[in-house]
Amino acid sequence: MHVIRLAIRNAAGNSFRSWMVFFCAALMAGFVISATLVIRGADDSLRLALERLGADIIVIPEGHERRLESALLMGIPVHCWMPDIIVDEVAALPGVVAVSPQIYLSTLRGAICCSLPELFLIAYDPATDFTIRPWLELNLDAGLALGETVGGSFVYVPAGEDKLLVYGYELDLKANLEPTGTGLDQSLFFTLETAYDIARLSDEYAVKVMDIPPRTVSSVLVKVGRDADVHQVAQLIEAEIPGVTPLETNKLFKDQREQILSLLHSVVALLVITWLLAMALIAVVFSLAVNERRRQMGVMRALGARRGTVLQSVLIEAWLLALSGGLAGIGVSTLAISLFQRAIIAVMNVPFLFPPPLRLAGLSFGALAMALSGVTLAVLVPAVRISLQDPAMSMRE
Amino acid sequence: MISLQNVSKTYSVRGDSSVLAVRNLTMQVEKGEFVIITGRSGSGKTTLLSLVAGLTWPTSGQVLLDGIEVWRLADKEQSLLRNKKIGFVFQFPSLLPTLTSVENVLLPTMFGDKVKGDRSRDRAVMLLEQVGLNDKLRSYPRQLSGGQQQRVVIARALMNEPQLLLADEPTSDLDELTEHEIMALFRNIHALTGVTVLLVTHSNDLAGYGTRLIRMAGGAITDLDD
Amino acid sequence: MKVAAVAIVALAILIAIIPIFSDCESQGRTLTLENGRQVSMKCHWTARAELALGVPLLAVGGLLAFSRRKETRRNLGIMGAVLGAVVILMPTALIGVCVNPDMPCVGIMKPALILLGVLMVAINLAVVVRSLGQEDEAA
Ligand SMILES: Nc1ncnc2c1ncn2[C@@H]1O[C@H](COP(=O)(O)OP(=O)(O)OP(=O)(O)O)[C@@H](O)[C@H]1O
Ligand SMILES: [Mg+2]
Repeated sequence: MHVIRLAIRNAAGNSFRSWMVFFCAALMAGFVISATLVIRGADDSLRLALERLGADIIVIPEGHERRLESALLMGIPVHCWMPDIIVDEVAALPGVVAVSPQIYLSTLRGAICCSLPELFLIAYDPATDFTIRPWLELNLDAGLALGETVGGSFVYVPAGEDKLLVYGYELDLKANLEPTGTGLDQSLFFTLETAYDIARLSDEYAVKVMDIPPRTVSSVLVKVGRDADVHQVAQLIEAEIPGVTPLETNKLFKDQREQILSLLHSVVALLVITWLLAMALIAVVFSLAVNERRRQMGVMRALGARRGTVLQSVLIEAWLLALSGGLAGIGVSTLAISLFQRAIIAVMNVPFLFPPPLRLAGLSFGALAMALSGVTLAVLVPAVRISLQDPAMSMRE
Repeated sequence: MISLQNVSKTYSVRGDSSVLAVRNLTMQVEKGEFVIITGRSGSGKTTLLSLVAGLTWPTSGQVLLDGIEVWRLADKEQSLLRNKKIGFVFQFPSLLPTLTSVENVLLPTMFGDKVKGDRSRDRAVMLLEQVGLNDKLRSYPRQLSGGQQQRVVIARALMNEPQLLLADEPTSDLDELTEHEIMALFRNIHALTGVTVLLVTHSNDLAGYGTRLIRMAGGAITDLDD
Repeated sequence: MKVAAVAIVALAILIAIIPIFSDCESQGRTLTLENGRQVSMKCHWTARAELALGVPLLAVGGLLAFSRRKETRRNLGIMGAVLGAVVILMPTALIGVCVNPDMPCVGIMKPALILLGVLMVAINLAVVVRSLGQEDEAA
């Protein structure tokens, strides 16, 4: 016989009470892990997206700031054009060490069901590019040739075909990038050369022509010298070149960050309320349980159980329920969140990236520890009270 | 073995009234005695047993068990002493409802300072056989009759080979025949092990089972039938 | 274990009903063939199959609530676990859902069915395990 065995029997003895505590613990741990996963997932995702951008400043035509953000984050294509001389104008400014133009396109809208979704297309200039090449090369040995493309993690070649059709143009999908949880997951990358080729041939092959206005680009990516100040360079661009907006990448996604922050605030508030209610319920349930067992505790004391042993038996019972409930809650929540990733992105309007296994294990452990401490705190008062009770008294009715 | 010197116990009830449960009581019990304590309800019998076991403290006077004031010991020593020296049979159903007969009998071994394992289990089974419950080892208390439950309690009281057996109305809920069976069991145990027994009962008919009779009334020992 | 029976019944209802509202057809999307005819997509058939699985699962839960014998409970648990596994297999392996990750059947229906299926299997396995070391009359 051991105290643990006694605790297990006590827990199994009253299934309603035990289920209550089990569910409360599951709720507590599940809520914490869900909130952490979603908020950290959103945060990680934003950070990864910024890393992929790789530029200090993105110069785009005035008035397109929001749309660019939603393109990068949610994959909603943006269309914007500015004269390509701007590339040289930006390059000429002091503090700028590298510039590279990009062209943003999109696949045809309203694609029929179960074929390709609407894709955000990014064409880059391999001659000057400094942002896409580095991580492209992680997935490919060489750069992309004419007609070749690399896609985000959600891009796929429809069943039964071996090429991606874009405006009737057959693209060779060379690789898929790792998921970022942002719009980059449903983006295609190829060279400017390929973009012009698609545009040229779309006349012939596609129901609709893909139009790239001559001598224009969509954006200019800027790298700033080490000793130059990004903000000052951005101000300089704004002052010197009319009709464009320089976006400092480290200030990008302000709205999304605020959204995440406000999400965090409301989640924390909700979390605190849920936890307090759950803990109160557990405290009440355990007070009842312990009261009901007052005599039993008195008997145990008379048979030679120390105060500590009585306390232990109550705490272990609570811990067993908290542990099993917490594990169940964490398991179900994690499973649900990993399954519903897409829906979470759509509903909450924030990007989302599921953490790698080790990180997940760490977070789960944290949530479990929190639930255990919460439950302990809730049962501490009744547990201590019963263990301090005078045994002769507790054996009386 | 047990020595009470001018012991009084007052319970203060909510408010200012107080109840004098034991009144200036002096008595000695020698090792190996089988003392039967009788008295009407409320005469302080249960309180006396609690005092002897150190489960509660005297308001005045001195209670010694083998020369020790048990209630003054630290929780750890107190518990260990009770665990090793004293076997309890309570006035109320005291088996843990979630444990089987064998597990209930094994309960006291859980609180001791050394683990005994299989040998304890063998002893528990042996004790249950001794009280005539060979076929109820795995039964839960709710599957046992009142008399059977009380036998399990007696087996549990004997588990750690106590030197003192405190039995508080062990037969109160039982029919007359069973009552005598249980009392005979106590007599056999006493004869067999030489354990000191303090047994409380409200029925004078059972006085013959012991080696000494103490009558209580109003918290004190009396020689008169009331 | 009344809790398990109630949980199984609730899950069975969800398994039967959720796909009806979350397959692509319910969202107004069908596959239009070149000859202009509209046909139902995979996810629609998965939804139908899940409805067909929900009914026996409902029966498992209902019977479990009223069964006292542990052999019966064990067998019901095994049946529920197997059916629960099929609930998971329908959208993942046996029939599948649409290929397009933007479709509601991929974003909502499939994950919902996997989650419900996992819970269904877990609860039924718990019923089986409990029935192994239990007395007949305990409920
Ligand atoms: N915790 C307590 N608080 C207040 N009064 C108490 C308490 N315990 C006992 N008493 C009172 O002390 C007196 C003696 O009680 P005790 O339980 O010792 O009697 P008893 O002889 O065992 O009675 P019975 O035969 O009914 O068990 C009673 O009047 C009782 O009301
Ligand atoms: Mg009494």
